[in-house]
Amino acid sequence: MVAARLSIQSLSKSFSVPVLTDINLTIRRGEIHAVVGENGAGKTTFGNILAGFINRDNGRIMLDGVEYEPSSPKDAFEAGISCAAQEFSLINTLSVTENIALRKLPHSYSVISRKELEHRTRSLLRIVGLGSLDPDTRIEALGLAERQLVEFAKSVFLDCRVLILDEPTAALTAHQASVLHEIIAGLAASGTSVIYISHRLQDVLEVSNTITVLRDGRVVTTGPASSMGVAELMEYMSGHVQSENKSAQPVAAHTPEPVLEADHITTEELPHDMSFTAYKGEIIGIAGLSGSGRSELLNALFGLTPLTGGDISLHTAEGKIHINNPGTAKRSGMAYLGEDRQSMGLYPGHPVLANMMIPGNLDGFASLSLLDHKHENSAGEKLVGELSIKCDGLGQDIDQLSGGNQQKILIARWLYCNSDIFLFDEPTRGIDVGTKNMIYNLLFDLRDNQKTVLVTSSEIEELMALSDRIFVLSKRKLVEEFKSDNWSETGILAACFREFTTQATDMRDQAHIRHLSSG
Amino acid sequence: MSFTSYTRSFVKEYFIFASLILLILFFSLVADNFFSFVTLRTILNQLPALTVVTVGMTLVLIVGGIDLSVGSVLGFSATVVGMAIIGWDLSIFTACLLAISAGILCGSMNGILVAYLALPSFIVTLGMLEMARGMAYITTNSQTMYIGASIQKLALPISQTGVSLALLIALLTVFAAQFVLTKTVPGRYIVAVGANAQAARMSGINTKLYRMVVLAVSGALAGLGGVFNVAYLGAADPNAGTGLELAAIAAAVIGGTSLMGGRGTIVGAFAGVLIIAVLQNGLAQVGVSEPAKRLITGGVIIIAVFLDAWRIRRDKLKI
Repeated sequence: MVAARLSIQSLSKSFSVPVLTDINLTIRRGEIHAVVGENGAGKTTFGNILAGFINRDNGRIMLDGVEYEPSSPKDAFEAGISCAAQEFSLINTLSVTENIALRKLPHSYSVISRKELEHRTRSLLRIVGLGSLDPDTRIEALGLAERQLVEFAKSVFLDCRVLILDEPTAALTAHQASVLHEIIAGLAASGTSVIYISHRLQDVLEVSNTITVLRDGRVVTTGPASSMGVAELMEYMSGHVQSENKSAQPVAAHTPEPVLEADHITTEELPHDMSFTAYKGEIIGIAGLSGSGRSELLNALFGLTPLTGGDISLHTAEGKIHINNPGTAKRSGMAYLGEDRQSMGLYPGHPVLANMMIPGNLDGFASLSLLDHKHENSAGEKLVGELSIKCDGLGQDIDQLSGGNQQKILIARWLYCNSDIFLFDEPTRGIDVGTKNMIYNLLFDLRDNQKTVLVTSSEIEELMALSDRIFVLSKRKLVEEFKSDNWSETGILAACFREFTTQATDMRDQAHIRHLSSG
Repeated sequence: MSFTSYTRSFVKEYFIFASLILLILFFSLVADNFFSFVTLRTILNQLPALTVVTVGMTLVLIVGGIDLSVGSVLGFSATVVGMAIIGWDLSIFTACLLAISAGILCGSMNGILVAYLALPSFIVTLGMLEMARGMAYITTNSQTMYIGASIQKLALPISQTGVSLALLIALLTVFAAQFVLTKTVPGRYIVAVGANAQAARMSGINTKLYRMVVLAVSGALAGLGGVFNVAYLGAADPNAGTGLELAAIAAAVIGGTSLMGGRGTIVGAFAGVLIIAVLQNGLAQVGVSEPAKRLITGGVIIIAVFLDAWRIRRDKLKI
């Protein structure tokens, strides 16, 4: 039971910025090894490298003493490593049987009889507690929890050496989760090593033998689960509050002049109503785990998703304006920067200038307003200078620019519009440190010019450096508001986890968290 | 330096027009009398209907859709002209307005279904292709209605100039559409919606409105094409425009329009129309058989798309 199954030495990976740095880990036979960490700590990347979805940059991995270098999920599978992904790999229009069999059929030497296939599927489904499910059901007819269990069933197979589970209980009820945990324990007892990646610290403590905490792509600690508690894990995950970006520490100097009011708003994605007021000259940070509803909140504010209840209003010079579509939002002075540059912002194959000016001109269908190329060019040149955008002229194809410069161009759009309220969804995601700092300074400038900024980020530290106030969302619920004088990273993190931990059964640790978040 | 984008698109159009001129030179050398007045007039006379339909098609392709119904809508509008003049005894002008209205009606129906019910334009306009043809047959009871010289004036060259009124209107349409596309805010928005609809929506652009309006415009231009067709034939033929949608798509694509949306110019598409027309007439002049003509035309379409794809790939690699 103590033999090393996986031995990972100095594993590194970067996507323009380092995601994993010098990871050293040993995972034993039959061990349930949990990997926890904040968003962006590198958990999923770690799992994806082991499962062969992405290639590592550096380092060695030994699987049962043999060099393991998967170049595809198929290699990993053949080596006995299987992964139940966070993003389901199920094909919606195929049946449960077909989905489960998809990966295994190539490995059989003869044609599998329909009967045997069904028999095998049924037994797998029984293992994961879906014994009553008809194997011919199409995936699209299943609920999220059932899909998660099917995904799990798909990844479980005999003689599996390493099973990687990325957020396996995210969609499950407490009961389903405990069933799953029993199965995992059973697999581990038969020798399978399980790598359990999760946000649910309760689950992690309940099921795992060993816990590794990642922060900023590095291993912070590894130790037996029995020696750790939720509070301790959270401290490891958040680390100490660092003071990198404190040069422009916000001064809480906003005059309480309200500009944006959300009054009991709900959407289909945000079932718990939210109310708040944003003021002139402040930066509001929106914190939460991935899937907590941060983007959904900004989408609702910009009128991109219809409200199912409540009201969003702006206080402008022309009086109160109600926001219910993006066109009105834009005309009333709102600006929106989507989370995903490629799909939500850029016009690929088009020049820098066109990308910068798309929303900048008046919405002129009625007036048939003509473009003023001269003005457009001079405004473009000016913005390129102001934001020090590195490009080979305004005519350069946007696709040829770096991510940071693309992001600056998207921000330039809204600066040109002279907007008053800026909704920025993860503005610093995937860009280099230099550009990050530029964007921070830009946000501070906006605030100092009496603009209002609502910004989301996966990095709590970043939000603390930027914001005057921080709203915390947990499971699509606005759970707490922090002010700069009473916050701590641990406290905010605890609030992020609140809706996950209140479901748990261990009362002792719940008390811990309440203590943390109130203090 | 800041005008690189515009010069680049000019270069692209030069490329297309250069191909066109080379083609004309080639046929002038190979065929006797290719440059004759008769040939030129024949070519120009064929153009107005295809030109205006191609303008509409190009706009629809740029906004990220497709309009397969243009040929049938043209046929339907042609029968409306016939019915209005022969059946209801209306003036030619009123008949033309009615025909264009019929086109707008069909186009708006396409537009509402595509934009507001979020149905795929390929399928909606495929349905309209059948429906409009059906309405064309109903309107004239499947007969061709002869109208005569009164309407043919529209298609006949104006004395001295050699240019017909129809051709003049078609050219005006080309320039107006090119102007709207490159010089106005709605034009910019149309390109934006085609290039990245989600990004456009998130920039506060009313993407549905643009999708809807562009399809309605395409319908209107198909209606205008119907008028030109009647003028050319002197008769309203319920079979008019059969297969024209494919010629229009071919012309747009030869002219550098992307079927994926977000890229293309009207002037380029017009050059595409001219290339197809010159090719057809030139080959006929040289005495190439009908099947061989089709083989060659098809080949030219594929070569054009190949060159375009190659050019885009080269531009992308040039970082």
